[in-house]
This record gives sequence, C-alpha cells and structure tokens, in this order.
Amino acid sequence: MTAATRRAERLALPAGLALTLGVLLVVFYFPVGRVLAEAVVRAGRLTLGPLLAVLRDPFYTGAAAGLLRDPLGVPAGVLGWLRAGAPPPRLGLFGFTAYQAALSTLASVALGLPGAYLLARYEFRGRATLRSLTILPFVLPSIMVAVGFLAMFGQRGTLNDVLRGLGLGPVHLLFTLQVIVLAHAFYNAPLVTRLVSAAWETVDRRRLEAARSLGASPAAAFRDVVLPAVRPALLTAALLTFLFTFMSFPIVLALGGLRLATVEVWLYARVQDLRLGEAATLATIETAFTLGLTYVYLRYEARQAASRAGGEPPARRPLFDGWATLRDPRRLGLLAYGAVVIVVFVGPLVSLLVESVTGPGGGFTTAYYHFLADQQLAAAAGTVKPLPAIRNSLVFGVGTLLVAVPMGVVVSLVATRGGRGSRLAEALLSAPLAVSGIVVGLGLLQSFVFGTTVFGVRLVLVGPVAIVAAHAVAAYPFVARNVTPALADLDPRLAEAARSLGATRLRSLTDVELPLVAGALLAGAAFAFAISLGEFSATVVLAEGVKSVTMPVALERYIGNRSIGPSLGPATAMGTVLLLVTAVSFVAIDRLGGRWAP
Amino acid sequence: MKRRRYLRGAGAAGLVGLAGCLGGAGGGGETPTGTGTPTGMATPTGATTGTDMPGGTLTIATYASFTGKGTAGTWLKGQFEAEHPGVTVSFVTPENGVNQYIQRAKQGAPIDADLYVGVNTGELVRADRELDASLFAPVESQLDRASTVKPNLRIDPKGRAIPYDTGYISLVYDAHQVDAPGTFDALLTPAYENALITENAQQSDTGRAFLLWTVIAKGENGYLDYWSSLVDNGVKVLSDWEPAYNAWLDGEAPIVVSYSTDQVYYHGQGVDLQKHQVGFLDGQGYANPEAMALFADSPNADLGRRFMDFALRPDAQAGIAVRNVEFPAVEGVDPGPEFTKYAFEPPKPVTFTYDQLAGHLSGWVDAWARQIATK
Repeated sequence: MTAATRRAERLALPAGLALTLGVLLVVFYFPVGRVLAEAVVRAGRLTLGPLLAVLRDPFYTGAAAGLLRDPLGVPAGVLGWLRAGAPPPRLGLFGFTAYQAALSTLASVALGLPGAYLLARYEFRGRATLRSLTILPFVLPSIMVAVGFLAMFGQRGTLNDVLRGLGLGPVHLLFTLQVIVLAHAFYNAPLVTRLVSAAWETVDRRRLEAARSLGASPAAAFRDVVLPAVRPALLTAALLTFLFTFMSFPIVLALGGLRLATVEVWLYARVQDLRLGEAATLATIETAFTLGLTYVYLRYEARQAASRAGGEPPARRPLFDGWATLRDPRRLGLLAYGAVVIVVFVGPLVSLLVESVTGPGGGFTTAYYHFLADQQLAAAAGTVKPLPAIRNSLVFGVGTLLVAVPMGVVVSLVATRGGRGSRLAEALLSAPLAVSGIVVGLGLLQSFVFGTTVFGVRLVLVGPVAIVAAHAVAAYPFVARNVTPALADLDPRLAEAARSLGATRLRSLTDVELPLVAGALLAGAAFAFAISLGEFSATVVLAEGVKSVTMPVALERYIGNRSIGPSLGPATAMGTVLLLVTAVSFVAIDRLGGRWAP
Repeated sequence: MKRRRYLRGAGAAGLVGLAGCLGGAGGGGETPTGTGTPTGMATPTGATTGTDMPGGTLTIATYASFTGKGTAGTWLKGQFEAEHPGVTVSFVTPENGVNQYIQRAKQGAPIDADLYVGVNTGELVRADRELDASLFAPVESQLDRASTVKPNLRIDPKGRAIPYDTGYISLVYDAHQVDAPGTFDALLTPAYENALITENAQQSDTGRAFLLWTVIAKGENGYLDYWSSLVDNGVKVLSDWEPAYNAWLDGEAPIVVSYSTDQVYYHGQGVDLQKHQVGFLDGQGYANPEAMALFADSPNADLGRRFMDFALRPDAQAGIAVRNVEFPAVEGVDPGPEFTKYAFEPPKPVTFTYDQLAGHLSGWVDAWARQIATK
C-alpha cells in the first residue's frame, strides 16, 4: 500500500465526520435553529416570557402548571387532591401527548415483540418475504392508514361485520383513544419487530448451549443470554416509538378528532396561522423534552454491559410440526398472534387495496387505476404523473442510502469512541429524531426555498439534491441507532488486532468491524430507504413544481383532485402502487443484503 | 370519466346563456331574473386579441387542485392563451398556499408570481395582519367587470381580492338515516346525538366556515356555549374535509359539514340521491368565496388585470363553476342546467366580511379549539 493511499485512508474518517457535520449544519441545525430561535425573541429582544407562559398554562401542562404558577401552594394542592380521593390529575396538552405516546409504545412493543420472536426463532415458508413486508406500514401516509382503519374498524367495517356474524355486538373504536393507540402500533410495532429480530438473530448459540448445559432452565437461559442481547434493540425501538408517537400528528386528528389533540396538532395550527413565535415556543418545549429523553436513554444504554454478540445463531425451529403444533403452547400462542396480526396489520392494508377497486356504490371498479393512467398520459401542465413519481421515489431512496449510511456509520463511531461528552454529542447528532417534522419543513422553506443571503448572493436550494439531503438527515439516525449498539458490543480486541497489524482505522472499520455488524447495518439501511420512500413534509417543500414529486406527494395531490368526484379512490390506487413498489423494493433489498450478511 | 364528460358538456351549454336560473334557485336576495345577462355571452369577444398586448409569461400561484388535467386552471390557461397570442400562463402551486407569499414578503424574498388565485377572506386578513405593506395591489377600480360580482361576495373593502367563485358550506346528510335538522338548535337534540362530523377550524376551510357560521348564528358571546352542547351531543371534529367526508361516506355518522354542490358529483343513473341530501340551517349557508389578487410588485400588472377581467367574463365564469364545482361569483351567470339542478344555493347566504373578521378570527378559532381540546 502506498503512503498516499494510507494518508487518504487516514484522512477518510475525519473528512467523513466533517462532511457529516457540514450536511447537518446546513440541512438541519441552521434551518431548525432559525425557527426555534423565534421562541425566545419577541420584538427583537431575548425573553423567556413566552416559554414560561406556556409552561404555566394548565391547558398545556395540566396539574403541573401549578408548580410554576404557585410553587408554595403545591403541598396544599397535593393534600386537597389526596382528600378528593386522588382522581386522575389534569394532564394538559403536553401530559396527554406523553400519555398517549406511552400507551402507544406499550402497545407497539406488545404487538411487535412476538413478531420478532417468530421471525428470529421459527422457520416457515415465506418467512423472509414476511420479514421484508413488515416495513410496509412504515411508508404509508397517514390518510391511507385512516382509510384502511375506517374500512377495517369502522361501524360498517370488516371487523364489525365479522363480529355481527358471530352474534357479537359491534365495537365502536373510531374517535377513541384506543384507535389512535392502535394506529400508532400499526406504524411502530413493525419497527419493534425488525429491530429486535435483527438483534435476536445474533444471539450466540454456543452461549445458550453452555448456559443450558450448566443447568440453567430455558427461562433462566433466556434471561441471562437472550435478553441482554435483545434489550438494547428493544429499548431503542421503544424510544423511537415514543418519539414518533409523541410527535404524531395527522393520524390523531384523522381517526381521533380534535378532542384527542396532541402538541403537534397545536404546533401545526400555529404554523398555519403564521404565528411562528408561538409555534417555535411549543416546538422548543417539545424538543427539549424529546432530546432530553434521548440523552437519558443513551446514558442508560452506554452503562449496560456489552453482551458480546456475534457467533453462530441457534437454528430456527419449524413453525409447523404436524399435529404436534396444536399441543405446543408456544406454537399455539404464535398462531393466536397470527390472528391478531391479520386483524391489526393485514386488515387495514388489505382494506386499502380493496378500497382502491371499490366504487362509491360498493361495486367493483377500475376507475381509480384508469385515473392514474389518465394522469400519466395527460398533456396538461401541472399534472402530477404516477410513473415519474415512482422513479423519483426510487432515485431519492437510493440517493438517501448512499448518503445516510456513511453518515450513520460516522456518527456511530463518534458514539462508540467513548470519552467525555460523547453521549451528549450522540444525543445532539440524533436530534433529527427528536425535532418535529413540521419545524424541519418550516426551516427548510425559510432557509432553502426562500433563499439565504450569503455574501450578498441569495442562495436558493431546491430540487433533487436538496430532497436527498433532507431525506438523508431524517434517515441517518436510524442507521446510527442500529449500528451503534452493535459496534459497542463488538470485542474491541478485534479492531485493536487489525490496527496492530498495520490496518488504518478505515480498513479496520470496513474489513473487520462493519462485516461483523452487517445485520445491524442492513437493518439501518432498510429503514433509511423506507424513511426516504415515506417522507412527505420536507419533500413537498423542496420539490420544484411537479418535476420532483415522489409517491407520497403524488398521493397527496390525488387526494385533492376531485376530477372523478370527492373520493379518496385515486389516492387509494396510488397508495396501492406505493405499497407494491415498497414491497418489491424491500424483498429485493433483503434478498440482496442477505448475501452480504454473515 | 363519464361524470366528467357530462359536466364538460354542461359547461358548453353555459355559453348559450340561460340567465337567472342560478340566482333564483333559493329565492335569495339578489335574483337577477334575466336582466343580469351580460352582453357577449355567446361570443368570447372581450376584443383583447393581443394587438396592443405584449407577449410574456403570466405566473399564477394557486392551490394544487386548480391545475392539472381537466381542471379550471388548465381550461382558463388554454382560453386565455388562445385569445392572447404570445402570452403564456404558468402555474406554481406551493404547498402552503398564500402563506408562502406572506412569508416571502416578510423575509424580503422574491415573490416570483403575478397573481394569486384562490385566496379567501381569512387569508387576506392574515396577510394584512402579518405585513406592513399590502401583499396585493388594489385593482377593483381598474377592472371592467368587477362591478358584476355579486355584492354579498365582495370580501375586500380595499378592492384587492376579487372573487371568481364561491362555495356554500352546508350540511350533507343521509336521508335514509336522519331528517334534515333545519336549525342549529335541532343539532343539540337527542335525534342528532353522534350524528354530525365536522372539521378542525384551525386547518380546514370547511371547518372554519362552519365555526364562523355558528358565530353568526349564536353570536360572539354564545357560540362557545353552543359548541359545548354540540360536543355533549357527540359532534366529531376531524382534521380536514377529506377524512371527514370519507368517514361520513363509510357510515360513521349520518351528517357531515360539506358543500352544497355535493349532488353535482353524484347524480346519474343508479345513484341514490337520498344519501346525498343538502341541508341548510336556519335557512342559511355560509359563503366561502375564492378570490384572485394581483401581487403588489408584479411586473406584469397589466396582463394580470386582463386575466382577472377575463376570469369574470360570463363564459369563463361558467367554465370555472363547472370545472371547480363551485358557484359563479358574477351575477346572472348560468353554468348550465345540470349544475343548476344539483347545486343548491342557500335561501340566506351569510358570510363574514373582511372588516368583521379582522382582529377577531384567530381569537375565535383559538378559543374554540382550546375548549374542544381541553383535557
């Protein structure tokens, strides 16, 4: 190896870090900071007044508002509350948002964990495909989830049809907290399944066998060997679910209604009314909370003893074992889980497909697909065409992968380097997870689309490059969140040995460490691709006219298109296309990726 | 689509000119009874055929569904360009609509558009609240046809925003399940428990119109109490018109806040119109006019005003009404018998003027939203 190559290799990682920080600064910190700064500026002066006013307002912070309003009155207040029989305290908008996010996280874990167990430990026909398809809910625009849920869980939905057939009363799920929690689980349980099953598959068979041979019961072996290996992934998934559902927005109002509003609903309303200072105030409190939570979590994760994953995973058991299947409680449990999956996940997705071929009168129709074909063939300017939208989505997705994966790996290296402040650095580098999409979109609009004057020149940045950059920034934390725990679990002696044999840091990374965490890398890359496919708020801001629209943007435009009546039919047809393209992409990604993974 | 072609045929019929049908539909205040037939309906005279007209590009900012295949925008562009050789009409459709231009003006970023098509009263109030200098230029006195706009739709006292069409917000209900409530008070009775779906006034045009309608009906000091009773009777407030209408179509509730043009989409063979009945309350419907306005710093002001005058011409008004499924803004225009038969005008159209909304709108909406969402 020439000296020049070595020097280049030595510089590659610092350069990568500098580039990552540069992209983050331009595409994230600057635009978002500009929006949030409004929170503490009124009439050109710095002030904490608006922030405190929100925190002191029981509408926002419920019973906790008293802490700031009248700290001395708190003991008396608590006493009065106890005397009243400790009724549920008033939550306020922030409290309710956290409460529904916590419930949603529990539901997502409860629905996702058995799936991870099934995919990691059992073999059956179509397992790999099923695993690939778990990504589907993740890319679906919320209005399509609302359509699917309405058709599945509505008064006249499939579930109630079945229940009535069985002589059971109808259930009224819509417009309740339960349906919001269920919709959040629909989105996020697959996240739990994917992250945890990837970790579960790295459990070393030999350690498990050693534990058993030393007399450990299956439960004890699970507790001591499997659980430590999957816990980081499980907690990461739970954290991500909490963050997402805390900042969840359109699905809440589409299925639940304004009575169940979250902070994000309020934030959006402020932005719509251009009261950007108030919006920034809410966003700042929200971000302080989500980022603080992320930091606390990362501290916790770093304290966990590494479990030294790697090695050969145990062989998967066949899911079906003839009649014996019916005598095995675990397999029976999994079959029952399958029934739940059919209702909660397959039901809404299939309902969406059915809606795309159902006319207003309930009969079969291909009108909505004809609509798509008509749009494709139309000559009128401003027509959003489906095929370019598919192409753009795939091109941006691949572009996002190429940018987000190296960014994520670089951030993971920073996070696993250890040392003072690395948790804080990691938390700040994970900030795109913790900032509301509405704020990011607003920041990009103000900074990129309106342009920023640099040395007297107005720089405007829109179109494909800006879109890929924005997608990559939204996506790389997923790569980092997957790769960091896996890298941390690696035996540091491996890298040290490579370095002592003369490998540069880059060589050691690409030739030794990354191949060992290929599973995690692949899982992160898959999410990066999915984030790009599903991203809407930044894309719609940065798209130039109809040239760079993606599938979700096209779908949204078809929602507003009433040329064949006030029907969501055309959007459901586009939603079906989105699902098919995503499904095919992910089966391909997992098949291709499976060849590289150990 | 069949329905589509049907409507297009109706649009052509509008050129023949049957004046007065529309205005008389609900026995409303201004029945033109034939007198309002503007001249030149059958022939698109206007006589502006480009001799004195420099070529150029007229950039129109609008909402996305105004453009694209088969839309009013595309049709207007074709007509206008045909009459003005050398002129190109191009559309831009920013996601956040007129807010985009308010923010641009605030930041000193270029506007890059000549006209905005699709601004409503509330947005005009917002633009003036946010900006010191007006975003739009006064044009009313310079337009030949501005005086033909129905008086009760003239939303801008400063003569900048010129309405080109209007919707009337009303109830749409399934007559198989409920009778028309008829009054605001009836919606509070047990017969209408859990019966109504509306939209979030913070983000939806229809939802805001319905809220403002209740402010008119119950007064500034009474509307919140009314809503409190409405919530007790099980009203659902969903995010926007599409989810609300979709939930209504799927039978989640028998009544939805929507447009009085609902049946225009549904008539035809085998369609049960009983499921699509339009209901007004207290004889009223809330007018939500859509207006066009010229950006104050447009370099193509003359061309922009020509376009506005063109859009107010009766043939253009009929064409917009049919393609946008909204009522014409100009007196005495007939969008054709099919439209007139299935689109209903309220006996007493009501709406807030600019002056009535300025300084109040955000406060009314905020107080309402807080009341609904308090927990």
